[in-house]
Amino acid sequence: MQPRQPNTSMLNRIASCLLLISVLASCQKELKMDATAIHNIELRFKPVVLFDTVEMKFDTVTYKNAFNESFKVSAFKFYVHAFELFNTDSNRISRAGDQDYYLVDFADSNSTVIKLNVVPYKYNVLAFTMGVDSVLNVSGAQTGVLDPAKGMFWEWNTGYIMSKLEGTSPVSTAPANSFKYHIGGFRQAESVIKKITLLFPYPEVIDMKPGKKTVIDITADVYDWFNNPHDIRIGTNAGVMSPGTLAQQIAENYSKMFAVVKVKND
Amino acid sequence: MAIRWTIRFVLLFLLGTVWIQACKKSNGDKSGPTPISFAIPAGFPTPQYQFTTNALTEEGFELGRKLFYDGKLSKDGNFPCASCHQQFAAFATFDHNFSHGFNNQFTTRNAPALFNLVWQKQTHWDGGINNLEVQPLAPLMAPNEMAEDINSVLGKLNQDATYKQMFKAAFGDETINSQRMLYALTQFVGSLVSADSKYDRVKKGLAAFTPQEQMGYTLFQSKCNSCHAEPLFTDNSFRNTGLPVDPTINDRGRMRITQNRADSLKFKVPSLRNLYLTFPYGHDGRFISVNQALEHYNSGVQQSATVDPLVQHGIALSTNDKNYLQLFLRTLTDSTFIKNKRFAPPGS
Repeated sequence: MQPRQPNTSMLNRIASCLLLISVLASCQKELKMDATAIHNIELRFKPVVLFDTVEMKFDTVTYKNAFNESFKVSAFKFYVHAFELFNTDSNRISRAGDQDYYLVDFADSNSTVIKLNVVPYKYNVLAFTMGVDSVLNVSGAQTGVLDPAKGMFWEWNTGYIMSKLEGTSPVSTAPANSFKYHIGGFRQAESVIKKITLLFPYPEVIDMKPGKKTVIDITADVYDWFNNPHDIRIGTNAGVMSPGTLAQQIAENYSKMFAVVKVKND
Repeated sequence: MAIRWTIRFVLLFLLGTVWIQACKKSNGDKSGPTPISFAIPAGFPTPQYQFTTNALTEEGFELGRKLFYDGKLSKDGNFPCASCHQQFAAFATFDHNFSHGFNNQFTTRNAPALFNLVWQKQTHWDGGINNLEVQPLAPLMAPNEMAEDINSVLGKLNQDATYKQMFKAAFGDETINSQRMLYALTQFVGSLVSADSKYDRVKKGLAAFTPQEQMGYTLFQSKCNSCHAEPLFTDNSFRNTGLPVDPTINDRGRMRITQNRADSLKFKVPSLRNLYLTFPYGHDGRFISVNQALEHYNSGVQQSATVDPLVQHGIALSTNDKNYLQLFLRTLTDSTFIKNKRFAPPGS
């Protein structure tokens, strides 16, 4: 028996490896589904005006931007993905959720809540990307939230509309006093893809216990589309419908529209 | 030992069964659609579009063919893709500078012929479409063409039992969504390969040019080939060939897409294959004959900041040159392609 021992253990190892590989291969799909089923982070996006204090209402309420231009909002939506949480003390970074895209559409309350999973830990910064990565702009017909049927796609100049703000304003010179900001552009020179980093207001922090959930309230201030650092007057620019300088300026403005206002740990 | 080994084998067998079960779902219990292998004609380069995520199948092709010829894809039912892309005109619009669209409107550019599309890096005269799969959305949604909305088209298709069956046959289940519709259309239009003209037969050694055609070919190679490069007869670039701007349309071409002044008045170099089936010529169909188009290069090039260096001084062509060139260009007509029943309306 003695001389055969190493041989058996080798076979044992091979057998174990085979078992492991089979198990992994057969369960891969289920494992992934299980992992996403545990949502321990919930992001709740809310549209606001006036320094994150007043909830924005569609169509019915008139607002005024920094240039005293009255306007009403009829559509407000944008793509987000690639969520991460940081701890600025330990410099630990954790990816939250997978690489899925989300279309936050304030006219559809289901889309404003994003459920993710993250390794339980203490975090004080949320980061994510606004927009649709360039490769997906050149890869043909997509589905899910990136389905061109969602209306966030330029059919005559292939590419995603990454953010959309539409409404009416008496100062608009466009038909029916409408204004339409369709912001896109994925090529390097005209990119509107923005990395957003949000530090939680002190002393708010995610302090996650295993099996518990944290809710993060994030506001998106529509006023920020119109100024800082670029002045965007509805009276001058009622429509942005293609990539370019104007789209990049508006994207730079609205990249500052988010704020984490509350973190609620279970 | 024997017992241990039995246990190991049983365990492996059990796990193997689990593994097979896990895989079963993706394999499906039916044989699935019939794959088509895309044949690259001899001498053609590697296609830009390769059906990698959109596997080319008999069922997908047939679905795309039905969609291509179906007025349901347009708002009022009158404008299928085929209304502007007619097989007998190599899938251009026969004898029209502009094509008819919804509500008595016209397009603002000449409908391009559809063939050898998988070798195009970008489609449209201005190259606005960067992937063949999403091209159908442009005419479908253009208010002066099919004037439709994606969800409205999908709604119409969903009410049709035949489509449900065909989507299932092509993609495994009855789900009808934009991706599947676009995949199927891409399988059809991507399969429109034209490579059986007299020119192609000469290249294969199956036919010979007449002496006049050969003279035209020699002229072609010295005067035209740098843009209309063989074997596709286009280099897929965008160039300003010095056409005076039509002030009513004021089409700036490629600049509309790139926002770059250097691209003003540049349009895609069209393939010259099937030239004699696709008149009129030019991005706005301003030339009613090949002879007119050739004369433009001889005497009509208008100077502007972006005019192409290759044509800015014109291309000197005598009357004889033009005659010989036209005899050669006639050898680019592919009558097999326009008569291919696979590309004709379903059931015809």
